[in-house]
Amino acid sequence: MEWDRTKSSVFKLIYFLPTLLSAQLLCAQTKIDLAGLTAFKNPGANWHIAGDVHADLEKDNTLVLTNGTGVLVNIPVTSAREELYTDFQHGDLDLELDYMMAKGSNSGIYFQSRYEVQLLDSWTVLNPHSGDNGGIYERWDESKPDGQKGFEGHAPRQNASRAPGLWQHIKISFQAPRFEGGVKIANARMLRVELNEVLIQENVELYGPTRASTGNDEVPVAPLKFQGDHGPVAFRNIVVNNYDKAKPTLSNINYAVYNGKFQKEPDYKIFKASIQKAAPIVSSNIDGLPANEFLVKYTGVLQVSEAGEYSFALNTAGGAGLLKIDNNTILPFTNWRSNGQVNLPVGDMPFELIYSKYVDWAKPAIGLTIKGPGIREFTITDANVPSGDDADPVLVNATENTILRSFMDLPVGTRVTHAVSVGSTEKIHYTYDMDNGMIIQLWRGNFLDATPMWHERGDGSSRPVGMVLYFGKPMLSIEKLSDANAGWQADTAGSAYRPKGYVLDEKDRPSFKYLVYGAAVTDAIRVLENSKGIHREINITNTTAGMYLRLAEGSTIEEISNGFYLVDDKSYYLKIDDAGNAKPLIRDQNGRKELIIPIENKLSYSILF
Amino acid sequence: MKAIAKNIFNCIFLLSMSLLCLHTNAVAQESAKEEDFFKINKMRSPEGTLLEVGGLCTLPNGDLAVTTRRGDIFIVENPTSAKPYFRKFASGLHEVLGAAYKNGSLYVVQRGELTKLTDTNMDGKADSFETIYAWPISGNYHEYSFGPKLAPDGSFFVSLNLGFPDAWWHPKSMVPWRGWVLHIYDDGRMEPWATGMRSPCGLSMIDGELFYTDNQGDWVGSGSIIKIDKGSFTGHPAGLRWAGMPNSPVKVREEQIFAKIDPRIEYGPDGQQTKPENNENDKFMTEFQMKQFIPDLQLPSVWLPHGILGISTSEIVKIPGGVFGPFENQLLVGDQGQSKIARVFMEKVNGEYQGCAWDFRSGFQSGIVRLAWGNDGSLFVGETNRGWGSAGDANDGLQRLTWNNRIPFEMRTVKAMPDGFEIEFTKPVDKKYAEDLASYSVESYIYKYHAVYGSPPVNTQKCPVKGVKVSPDGMKVRIIVANLRPHYIHTITLGGIRDKENAYSLIHPTGYYTLNNIPEGAKLAMTEVSTKNTAKAGTAQTTTSATGVYTYTQIKPLLTKYTCVACHNPEKKQVGPGFIDIAKRNYSIDKILSLIKNPQPQNWPAYSTPMPPMPQVPASDARKIAAWINSLAVKK
Repeated sequence: MEWDRTKSSVFKLIYFLPTLLSAQLLCAQTKIDLAGLTAFKNPGANWHIAGDVHADLEKDNTLVLTNGTGVLVNIPVTSAREELYTDFQHGDLDLELDYMMAKGSNSGIYFQSRYEVQLLDSWTVLNPHSGDNGGIYERWDESKPDGQKGFEGHAPRQNASRAPGLWQHIKISFQAPRFEGGVKIANARMLRVELNEVLIQENVELYGPTRASTGNDEVPVAPLKFQGDHGPVAFRNIVVNNYDKAKPTLSNINYAVYNGKFQKEPDYKIFKASIQKAAPIVSSNIDGLPANEFLVKYTGVLQVSEAGEYSFALNTAGGAGLLKIDNNTILPFTNWRSNGQVNLPVGDMPFELIYSKYVDWAKPAIGLTIKGPGIREFTITDANVPSGDDADPVLVNATENTILRSFMDLPVGTRVTHAVSVGSTEKIHYTYDMDNGMIIQLWRGNFLDATPMWHERGDGSSRPVGMVLYFGKPMLSIEKLSDANAGWQADTAGSAYRPKGYVLDEKDRPSFKYLVYGAAVTDAIRVLENSKGIHREINITNTTAGMYLRLAEGSTIEEISNGFYLVDDKSYYLKIDDAGNAKPLIRDQNGRKELIIPIENKLSYSILF
Repeated sequence: MKAIAKNIFNCIFLLSMSLLCLHTNAVAQESAKEEDFFKINKMRSPEGTLLEVGGLCTLPNGDLAVTTRRGDIFIVENPTSAKPYFRKFASGLHEVLGAAYKNGSLYVVQRGELTKLTDTNMDGKADSFETIYAWPISGNYHEYSFGPKLAPDGSFFVSLNLGFPDAWWHPKSMVPWRGWVLHIYDDGRMEPWATGMRSPCGLSMIDGELFYTDNQGDWVGSGSIIKIDKGSFTGHPAGLRWAGMPNSPVKVREEQIFAKIDPRIEYGPDGQQTKPENNENDKFMTEFQMKQFIPDLQLPSVWLPHGILGISTSEIVKIPGGVFGPFENQLLVGDQGQSKIARVFMEKVNGEYQGCAWDFRSGFQSGIVRLAWGNDGSLFVGETNRGWGSAGDANDGLQRLTWNNRIPFEMRTVKAMPDGFEIEFTKPVDKKYAEDLASYSVESYIYKYHAVYGSPPVNTQKCPVKGVKVSPDGMKVRIIVANLRPHYIHTITLGGIRDKENAYSLIHPTGYYTLNNIPEGAKLAMTEVSTKNTAKAGTAQTTTSATGVYTYTQIKPLLTKYTCVACHNPEKKQVGPGFIDIAKRNYSIDKILSLIKNPQPQNWPAYSTPMPPMPQVPASDARKIAAWINSLAVKK
């Protein structure tokens, strides 16, 4: 499932959050060609290219391949269980890919063939440790007694894993160790690991290679390694960004302060600087800067050692900024934030940065980030200035079965206003839309962030904290169709839909009630044993003819066995448990697939994810 | 340090007292204060319980249901005892802003619905959460929902806030029934009942009649108590968007309002909407003038002057018989921003409500949202400022107000008379002062009815007191007042009055009487009244320090007079920034003067409540205030 969060206007903040660093800059990316295995060094016989792949929830270490290209698969066998190395070597690297675990399988991604982010079937694990999916694998010291050999593993912040046989998405930013004269001067770091859109590791220092590293030495560059000796695993959409070039640097920094309110660049012949000084870094935290109504002009020399296109993003809190390089205006005098690109040659060139502040309530702060050819975006100015956002997060943990009503924003751009989020100690949570009798999202991990609702005035909304499955635009779960091909209605008009609330069982779990087309519906959703997903049972009285339940929608819906489906490009499983004699139907709706089923008195199904 | 602080306090106190007694030469003893009669009591609650109270409801057995912003509902057992017990009855609800009890169930208002909570298995917790009626809501942060209030027939009323779009100065009814009061039955039927509400936090049922308080803003010059009948339109036009729907009982249409008053939708040069400013010299209309064109416009029964008796008025409760001594059967009104309670006496003249309002008790720990009576005659006070700021700077609070059975010296009632007012006291007055016209002063003013945020007081006029008749027992005075104007707020100040027993001045010497109607009847003859007036040339002289800049003690009366202190503290953040923080902006005196007339709330994004324009502050006084503010920066 691919959703563009930024498109949704409802993610607006009602309180002011100045961001120092601007949005991520775009840059060239390399997608590894999986038409064959040419991108890899001497691939072992256990590595295959396939068109599609399926796991089996019942069988350990099983992946079934379909002919084609685009998917890289490891099937270790006795005769071949080799690691896979990329042809390219890397230092600092961003890596993004989809992967699929077989049931019970184990693999890993080794940066520089040495530092492993673990891939594991960690489905249903409640409290993940460093050896679980997304963990930074432990290091190993054979000289220590048993039980003390492993050390410095780093557990993910929560278990954001999906079930075996589903595509998972991981995004990792790695920073290589630094050397000077062959001596290591800085450790490697895992800057970010995002598993299925959840940040699970951030800025983790790696003191040395992890267990099963290709070498115990550390080096500036080495190939990326995919673990092949343990269990079946599949990869696709592997995208890398190599950052192997030296950053530009700034030297001979001086600044001059002009007092007054400048809403355009002043004529320096008329205005005299009140202060002129040298500084070690471009910063708003400097001597002699008034709180407001000033213009500060920083000058220096920018040393560029790699020619190519550079992107600049400037943030000037409470005022305007301007950037000149080599006496050319790169970013014209613009309020608050601006960005732009320019081709720079190798060499030293004059650098000029202006910050004019005149909005009286803002705290002075300036931030400039640079991204270049083979250069990861970095902040060249002082990063240690106020960010303006000091709200303590208000997190709601489901230490018992927990309900919290709030507004809920969906990536499709809808704000659900009568939403009920239901959390469980099994760490499987869902949100129910009481305007439609629909489960709008289902997630694994931690429960809710209620900061948007409870900080200051708040906006009435909360957000899921874990790994979320979204089910699309809110619509009635139960509709009356004139025939099996009739389209699902976009709203509740004519349905006589009326919410009737919910009742709690002895474990405080809700069963929702509503009326639709004169029928009385009870909708009971329960977490499956072992945290595998949810079971939903719908009971109806006073049913009328032609009522259907919309079970799922997605880009694809595959029936893998009788009543057992893989939905939306293998995002989750749906299993019909009891539908009487009703026949489910996969149909095309607006270019997507929809799974519907006639419903009379009772129907139950499960979602596994 | 303590002694110094106390001395400063006494200076301030004496100075303000001496201003009140300017015309009398009487040397007053230190008079009694609110807290000598009404005590604010803490209610013990388990550590870590966040009581951002949105609803209070006393159950028949005396237990107290408390609902919170965090969605919890507590049943507080033995709430008036030293050790109340907090039982969590329900949780996870959406910002619950009110509760009512009926037939063993608790009915609560969440953001989007009226919900009936029942404990069917008697384990002390609700297990049935039945949606009685879910109303549309767009999801705007400002769409709060209030109530339910139980009608005599067992049905319910709820009131729904307008939403605040990006151009927050023009709140909108983004989906049907925002800005309305709805009437809801147990079986889920809903009748739209009335509109014109802006921010109707104080929906209240008084003796079977529905009233509410609104919050100052556009079209609402000040908080007030307004009666709601079926089909009423109470002033804010945003909800009229839905007045033409088939089930609407409201006859007024938006076009009728905008035909007479410019809605002030204004744009800046960049095409962005801009906040309309108060134009001092423009012609304006008052709400009662508008009523000539729109007879269905429901005027306030009693105004609660903005900045004086509150800035964000909330729940109204009627004092039960036998409770709070002389004030039984009167009304109390909470205020969120000022963390205090006002008292109101209402009477009916020509079939319409009107009456007088006074300060009653201040000093609560957070913003007052809800009031409920305990079975022992004490008053539960449910509080939160939830990000808006309040005089009591805690974010939450549940407190209890008790009376010590001693009689404070107050105006008990003020009643309109054909030629003035009759004022009844709680204790006999000293006739020496009561028969002296210098003890009385009356003036009147009103607010604009316009699309600008808030209103300065306008059309202010003096109302000379021509004669006074004191009852033989000293419990009542009747004053003849010239220049009475219907619909105006009459500010009645009894600065010189002393009680007979202790020569104390009134605890609250000023009442604000909304004179919707002047009653018919017999006027006093000049022969039966005292016209003695000791006020000769005794005018107030305020002294300036040698530097020309006032001290805090000297400036405080001005800050009080112009209601600056309603929102600003010298040093602390309150509803608005501390004066010291304003001083740090290094504004010029002229800039401060222009900001007083036309504030720029966008300069203070960390504050939620915008300042209304205050052109009524004369330039000479504004200049003194500005100089004093700027002097704060120099000192530090």
